[in-house]
Amino acid sequence: MSARTDMSMTELAGAIARGETTSLAATEACLSRIDAGNPTLNAFIRLDRAEALEAAATADAKRASGATLGPLHGVPMAHKDMYYREGRVSTCGSRIRRDFVAPKTATVLEKLDAAGAIDLGTLNMAEFAQNPTGHNREFGDAHNPWNPPFCTGGSSSGSGVAVAARMVYAALGSDTGGSIRLPASLCGVTGLKGTQTRVSRSGVMPLSFSMDNVGPLTRTARDAARFMAVTAGRDPKDPTSAREAVPDYEAALTGDVRGLRIAVPQEWFFDGADEVVVAAFETALDALKARGASITRLSAPSLNAVATCVAVVSRVEGATIHATWMRERSADYATHLSARIYGGYALPATYYVEALAHRGPLLRQFCTEAMTGFDIVATPTLRTRVPTLAETDIDADPANWHRFMAVSANTRPFNYLGLPTVSVPCGFDERRLPIGLQLAGRPFAEGRVLQVADAFQQETAWHTRVPG
Amino acid sequence: MDPETMETAILAWSGIALPNAAARVGLADHLALIEAFAALRGTLAFEDEPSSFEAALRDEMEPPR
Repeated sequence: MSARTDMSMTELAGAIARGETTSLAATEACLSRIDAGNPTLNAFIRLDRAEALEAAATADAKRASGATLGPLHGVPMAHKDMYYREGRVSTCGSRIRRDFVAPKTATVLEKLDAAGAIDLGTLNMAEFAQNPTGHNREFGDAHNPWNPPFCTGGSSSGSGVAVAARMVYAALGSDTGGSIRLPASLCGVTGLKGTQTRVSRSGVMPLSFSMDNVGPLTRTARDAARFMAVTAGRDPKDPTSAREAVPDYEAALTGDVRGLRIAVPQEWFFDGADEVVVAAFETALDALKARGASITRLSAPSLNAVATCVAVVSRVEGATIHATWMRERSADYATHLSARIYGGYALPATYYVEALAHRGPLLRQFCTEAMTGFDIVATPTLRTRVPTLAETDIDADPANWHRFMAVSANTRPFNYLGLPTVSVPCGFDERRLPIGLQLAGRPFAEGRVLQVADAFQQETAWHTRVPG
Repeated sequence: MDPETMETAILAWSGIALPNAAARVGLADHLALIEAFAALRGTLAFEDEPSSFEAALRDEMEPPR
């Protein structure tokens, strides 16, 4: 029995449940894709081939026995190498943790296991999840499946590549400043960052306590909806996780966006934007308008303060977490990473406290400016065309610093604001590299964000394109 | 504050030495961030009442339709 790797995650789960294909066939198909693509793209750090095939065979036997199946039963996935599984090495993309054996299993992996997902191994990532490009000195850079000299986006680089190149049907990323949405945009897949606190972070490598998020990279908005429904919710092991009930996100995917109101802030998101990106973004808005949504350009002056505060919080928290290793093992970091972390020690404590104290008021202000009377805020995910690995390589030339930092300019504000945000493919540039549309909603409105993303994907076919 | 003074301060406060030349570029970027934050003075005010980000998240949820 064969399995098609171009199916979406939900399509495959349905096909397995109906007996039209098997988990073993899907897993073998993924392994073939990995064997063919990984030597060039470098998406995987660890491949658990034998264990995955055994788990898939067990999943098929369970289905044959008539047992109740989970919503992701038999679906092959792999995850960013910062999600702990007890007894397994979790490198966090680093030399420092090259031999770190996880002492516990992440809640999010336990939930995926319980839903029936098959875990193929661990995926490449930016060292300690700290770059937006996909560079990795220790395990080698991940390469864009559409055009390998170009960036994959980071920090969930392997997740973006593996989903786009049809090596897996879905993957966990993490997002502190755009690390799910950027690889989704640059690799041409769908990436969802939920509301801050929506998904448990227990058993997940921290980068910034205030702004870390767990979420999926998938082929479609519908896949992201199911993935989020499985993984979201209160976790006693993560006291910061939200108590809000988890709705049936898939039920919101009606394709109907008539009457929905989309706001487009004119500040910040278009500064220095490339023409081809703006053109694709405008075409995407036209597609949503054609389905009955309204588009309004407006002013959101709070974005300037938001963009400054997000940098203060993330840099101080990142520097704090890495202080011991920076004192004792700074040579074990890639140049760009220790250089970035270092400056965080120069930020005054009062600035950090102030930036955190303004977070609630600035969220309220942004919602007043951009979401009063509106359901969704839309922006390009990346302002510019996809850069090359070479032109953003700080280790090779520190002069690349600003090009490197600019990659996450449009995604970072939504981490400070804590709003649910998705990136979906909305076009390609002349070099065959994807362009992303970013959609943000009010707190805990993941269903609304996915509703619009899904409607867009019903109207367009960008998400169905396959690299190679 | 100039970068050299900042390097001395980081060493004194955190016991961390400049790791590489690229960190000087990073330090300049951080100094620019400090200037940007300082420029916000007077535009952001603390609230008198206790507030939290989590409370703001709940308050700004979608109104019922």
